[in-house]
Amino acid sequence: MPLKAIDKAQATFRESVMAVKIIESCVNCFACEPVCPSKAIFESKPHFKVNPNKCTECEGDFPVFQCASICPIEGAILNALGEAINPPGSLTGIPPERMAEAMAELQSH
Amino acid sequence: MQLPVLNEAPAAKSGCSSSSCGTNENQMDALPDSIREKVQNHPCYSEDAHHYFARMHVAVAPACNIQCHYCNRKYDCSNESRPGVVSELLTPDQAVKKTMAVAATIPQMTVLGIAGPGDPLANPERTFETFRRLSEEAPDIKLCVSTNGLALPDAVEELSKHNIDHVTITINCVDPEIGAKIYPWIFWNNKRIKGKKAAKILIDQQQKGLEMLIAKGILVKVNSVMIPGINDQHLAEVSRVVKSKGAFLHNVMPLIAEAEHGTFFGVMGQREPTPDELQDLQDACSGDMNMMRHCRQCRADAVGLLGEDRGDEFTIDKIEEMEIDYQAAMEKRKVIHQAIQEEMDSKRLEKAHKAEQFKTEPKLATRPVLMAVATAGQGLINVHFGHAKEFLIYEASPEGVRFISHRKADQYCGGDSTCGDGESVLQQTVRALAGCEAVLCSKVGYEPWELLENAGIMPNGEHAMEPIEEAVMAVYKEMAAAGKLAAKPEALRAQG
Repeated sequence: MPLKAIDKAQATFRESVMAVKIIESCVNCFACEPVCPSKAIFESKPHFKVNPNKCTECEGDFPVFQCASICPIEGAILNALGEAINPPGSLTGIPPERMAEAMAELQSH
Repeated sequence: MQLPVLNEAPAAKSGCSSSSCGTNENQMDALPDSIREKVQNHPCYSEDAHHYFARMHVAVAPACNIQCHYCNRKYDCSNESRPGVVSELLTPDQAVKKTMAVAATIPQMTVLGIAGPGDPLANPERTFETFRRLSEEAPDIKLCVSTNGLALPDAVEELSKHNIDHVTITINCVDPEIGAKIYPWIFWNNKRIKGKKAAKILIDQQQKGLEMLIAKGILVKVNSVMIPGINDQHLAEVSRVVKSKGAFLHNVMPLIAEAEHGTFFGVMGQREPTPDELQDLQDACSGDMNMMRHCRQCRADAVGLLGEDRGDEFTIDKIEEMEIDYQAAMEKRKVIHQAIQEEMDSKRLEKAHKAEQFKTEPKLATRPVLMAVATAGQGLINVHFGHAKEFLIYEASPEGVRFISHRKADQYCGGDSTCGDGESVLQQTVRALAGCEAVLCSKVGYEPWELLENAGIMPNGEHAMEPIEEAVMAVYKEMAAAGKLAAKPEALRAQG
């Protein structure tokens, strides 16, 4: 296998295993950008993004994801498996059923 | 007969050299001269100054290091006016340009604040870059900053280097048990920490930061959000603690909790305090501390005089097109500020004189009464009832007249026009004046007249263009003479 192909395969593997992802619910509050130990997070439109080649999931630096430990928005940062690191209700303390009820109530007006 | 204006009476004569005199309700006059000198042209620190001087906030600080149950970082509705909300995030460079443009266009401007939309000290580079440049390029503008306090101890040294003599710390509690019900988490030492442990760290940092600022000679104001059933009983203790450490002013604000804001308190149905509850708490705290009663809880990008927002005139696009002569603008400001100061000083002396006169006269035996006033500033009754966006609430009693609070007339949600919930803006306004027994304005139409009367609020348009306190006194005396003020006050307050 040529070297370039090995690099590419490693990068793909790494991307799929060792990177978090910021999704559209991000509110662009900047909080995660300065706390990333790998400088993997950058400002972008319509929201901040993670460079998967740089993200190390904080391994070797911190025992927990730094970005997801300061992010105020539930569900905005996913782990390598695509799961929300901060699931609904985990940050605000609002039970998801209660949130759904309140939103349904507001929309019915 | 002249009644005294309690919140204008000079404190020095009664021997209250410090801020501890509970009978004097004006935060400015109860202050030592050295502090009053510093804050007399700061619109956020007195009801008096805010009618003359303007302030602005620049939204350069988006990140936050804690979560509060009354805050939600997701929403920006341009109709919404509350802390933590902004329309346009600025870079430090844009913030400097905006400040210079506003200060040139609104020469009454004296103060530039950074208040968010996150925590200014959780964005130290952006915040301090803005302060550093402004203290060089606009040296006549006072700078201030508000913070939740978590990162404050580390920032005190840097704060003391700039032109900053006022810092506001939001302190909602000094007890971690209570704090755990207000703050779900903090980000601290590379970890998200929850519960009582988080609240304790935050409280310790706030108190340490407060002490360090005082030691540096920087003025500290404390903001607290009154949350019924959570910290309402506790805030008098907070007042006592922060005053003992040297904070010069305590601003107790009512919780804003609407389900549509998506905040924990809003969604979970936590109620807001009533105006009566807020007033009672402010009165309870005032024995220990100078209280602030006119705070409008403005947005983190507000521009202009308190209660007005001219932010739309100064968007990034519009600023880029403005041509400004900074030097000429600064000279113009100096002249205007001087003239305003002279006018304020002469009014202050006049009122103090009237208060002195009153002391020699016998007191009326009445209960206290609340009145609403429609004003656009200059201390005059000069707004038509239907045009008032807010009302100032005054209390008249045998002790004199004092400013109590303001109440909004145009809620951001306009009732029938947008929501179809059946209640008109006029009905909302009348409801907002609950507890008042008269409303003084320059004119009032037939329809509101009837609604007001039915609600037990006497409309009065006879004092147009008169000074507020004198008009309130005159109406108070009429009501007393008509025997309307002999009833038990508690029964009436309960209705409100």
